[in-house]
Amino acid sequence: MQELLQQIVSGIATGGIFASLALALVLIYNAMGLVNFAQGEMAMLATFVALALIDHGMNYWIAFPVTLVIAFAGGIAIERVVIRPVERAPILTLVIITLGLATLINGLAGFIFGYVPRAFPSPFSVQTVNILGALASYQDLGVIAVSGVVLLAIYMLLQHTTVGLTMRAAAHHPEASRLLGVHVSWMLALGWGLASAVGSVSGIMVAPILLLQPNMMQTIIIYAFAAAVLGGIESPLGAVVGGVIVGVTVNLAGVYLPFVGGDLQLAVALAIIVGVLVLKPNGLFGRPSVRRV
Amino acid sequence: MLQRIRNSPPRYWLVVVVILFFIGLPTVIGSFQASEWAQVLILAIAIMGLNILVGYSGQISLGHGAFMAIGAYASAILVHKYKMDYLVTIPIAGLLTGMIGFLFGVPALRLSALYLALATFALAVVTPSLIKRPAELTGGVQGIILPPIDPPPLASDAFTAVTGTAMTSDQWIYYVTLAFALVLFWLAWNLVRHRAGRAMRAIRDGEVAAAASGVNIAGYKTLAFGISALYAGIAGSLFGLAVGFVSPDTFPVALSIQLLVGTVVGGLASIPGPLIGAIFAYFLPIESNQWVPTQTWIPSQIASTVEKAGPAVTYGVVLILIMIFAPNGVVGLITAGYARLRRRLRGAADRDSGQMPPDPQTG
Amino acid sequence: MALLELEEVRAGYGPTSVLHGVSLSVPEGQIVSLLGANGAGKTTTLRSITGGVHWTGDIRFAGRSLRRMHTEDVVRCGIAHVPEGRGILTELTVDENLKLGSHLRRDGAAVRKDYDRVFEYFPVLRERRGLSASTLSGGEQQMLALARAFLMKPRLMLLDEPSLGLAPLIVRAIFEIIRTINTEDRVAVLLVEQNARLALEMSSDAYVLEVGRVAVSGTSSELKGNDAVRRSYLGY
Repeated sequence: MQELLQQIVSGIATGGIFASLALALVLIYNAMGLVNFAQGEMAMLATFVALALIDHGMNYWIAFPVTLVIAFAGGIAIERVVIRPVERAPILTLVIITLGLATLINGLAGFIFGYVPRAFPSPFSVQTVNILGALASYQDLGVIAVSGVVLLAIYMLLQHTTVGLTMRAAAHHPEASRLLGVHVSWMLALGWGLASAVGSVSGIMVAPILLLQPNMMQTIIIYAFAAAVLGGIESPLGAVVGGVIVGVTVNLAGVYLPFVGGDLQLAVALAIIVGVLVLKPNGLFGRPSVRRV
Repeated sequence: MLQRIRNSPPRYWLVVVVILFFIGLPTVIGSFQASEWAQVLILAIAIMGLNILVGYSGQISLGHGAFMAIGAYASAILVHKYKMDYLVTIPIAGLLTGMIGFLFGVPALRLSALYLALATFALAVVTPSLIKRPAELTGGVQGIILPPIDPPPLASDAFTAVTGTAMTSDQWIYYVTLAFALVLFWLAWNLVRHRAGRAMRAIRDGEVAAAASGVNIAGYKTLAFGISALYAGIAGSLFGLAVGFVSPDTFPVALSIQLLVGTVVGGLASIPGPLIGAIFAYFLPIESNQWVPTQTWIPSQIASTVEKAGPAVTYGVVLILIMIFAPNGVVGLITAGYARLRRRLRGAADRDSGQMPPDPQTG
Repeated sequence: MALLELEEVRAGYGPTSVLHGVSLSVPEGQIVSLLGANGAGKTTTLRSITGGVHWTGDIRFAGRSLRRMHTEDVVRCGIAHVPEGRGILTELTVDENLKLGSHLRRDGAAVRKDYDRVFEYFPVLRERRGLSASTLSGGEQQMLALARAFLMKPRLMLLDEPSLGLAPLIVRAIFEIIRTINTEDRVAVLLVEQNARLALEMSSDAYVLEVGRVAVSGTSSELKGNDAVRRSYLGY
């Protein structure tokens, strides 16, 4: 029982990491109806930036927000340069472009930083603390706290600021929003910037566990897909809930299902993706979509 | 007769020339190069399969490498466990993969293009770890090593008669691959010209309209998935044959991306496109890797990194640029250029004969 | 000088052209009606002004040409456009819709006063503030659209068939408020209407479009008094 609780806590921590990346996917999906296949690679690159800052002697808690700002700017730059020219292109074109972007960023990171896995510092100790009979590590609790703060901040931004309001308006009704003076195209860029920043949190949180190298996010993005799909790909709340469910499920399956073990955890994510898409395509919190003619 | 040949469109001549080129190629290049070109043809087959799916039926798969893996492992297991002749296993592997693809196409019907992309991409990422699991069947991480195959005497003798050298295993594999490629390209050409092809394109261009004109949407979409997987399966089987072994790492996500690059570069919904795309997707990373180390001004440390990172960077850049500037790929560029050239030539001829050229607006 | 001037405006969608040279002007603080049958180009005229369709010719607002301007920048010049179908953001709440109207304004105190006036005009919107805009009835949505346009503090409102699909009583109420906004705040209005009689009562000038051209124009009372015009173009 105690072990189960422990596994659940560490599952929630992993889930927080998935949730950040899933939320990034949802932000871009809401802005332009697109799943950004490059989201994980963008987060990986940002994590390399964070490591470079820390290696240059910057304090972790200063490097962290600085990285988010850089990731934000980078996301905007990518949208302006790569996505803007094809804003109205068919969805397949956009998907292929983000896939190209993923490949490109992965290659660039390998080119600049090499493929040798690097240790990434964690501000949290691996010591454990006893909570209600379960031993939880400070590392896990720290990850949960950081993810929670970031997700809350995004929620506040979207729901309780004018910028968030105009972003949501532009996402739902671009034409009507233009008539209200909203710069819709800039809102898309802002969405990319925000997604990039949120996504990079997952990279920074996961790097101490997985070690930092260009392919670090390749599996994390699959878990994030699973989380976003499970939650309903247009729902920010769904991304968070989906992330936690996927994190806990994958963790428990790895420990308690002998045939899954460590190396088929990814297959659990695939099963979640396919199962949800086939059985309940709108996920837990998504609205039924109207089929366009 | 002569008249008919003279009047046949230039592209038929081009097809004949290309086929003769590929038949004659191994007689003028070395055995190693023949094995490289065999890889190109294998890629071309897989890309043709993907092209039928993406270009003609409007569905997408970012996980076609997984279907190649199924075909390759099917052949390898039949050869390794059941001691079958490799050549016999190729069509079996193709049909098996085709059936799996067909079954995969059924749930795929329920998914929008975006979700399908997502699910197939996840499949591509997960495939290597799925392969490792039934280790007694697939050989686990090590994979399966395949016995080399020797060219049959008849082919060997014919080859020796032309070139004066003995035929190597690689050269024989090249010809096997070429035979499959010719048949599969011919089949694809027939498919897209006839009823099924028209139906698929109608679905791609608008499902509601296609349904209104009586096209069986579900049937043709799953059929497209099945055919597409069949191509990938045969390509995968040939791939195992050409490489001499199969292992989980033979089929990484990068392979699926390579196929997508080839499809996009060649041009969607085009028959010659996959061949051009395959040549590009195969030789681009190799050429860039050979070029960089020859440049003495590049520090060796960077050069070795480029070798690893180069293909990804170039693939990524190419994908993005093609989708932004030439969404119809190389074939699209060529046909657009050809049409423009012809219009200009015809315009010039019409001016010479004193006739008004047709108004491009109304024409 | 007129606040809004259209000069030989041609516009269309892709290869089909809808407007074949429309010229009209809206004086400062006046209500001008734009009438005509379905498909005459009334909506396209409004969409040209706010850059929703590609057009040639010239459109000037307060002396400044709107050529090549994006919709959002035209709107920021002081034109509020309530489009066909009202442009309500149904995923958002009533309050959020209103906030989108005032989000560009920096005159906080005046904004608060304008909110008070909006709720005075349309008390129902105060009751429904927190609800999703999708729960409003057609008349309430039209009120919301008008209220939101008012909160933009425009110099000119473009109203596309505010009476469409509404009960006569509600139409009366809405037109009364349009007139109030016009007289109290000197907001000019270009009013597209099917209901010609109602529109001519409100407006000082009127234009009648026929297949993309201005067929008749004049003061509203002239048009009202001309039986031939009334019968052949306005259908009452």
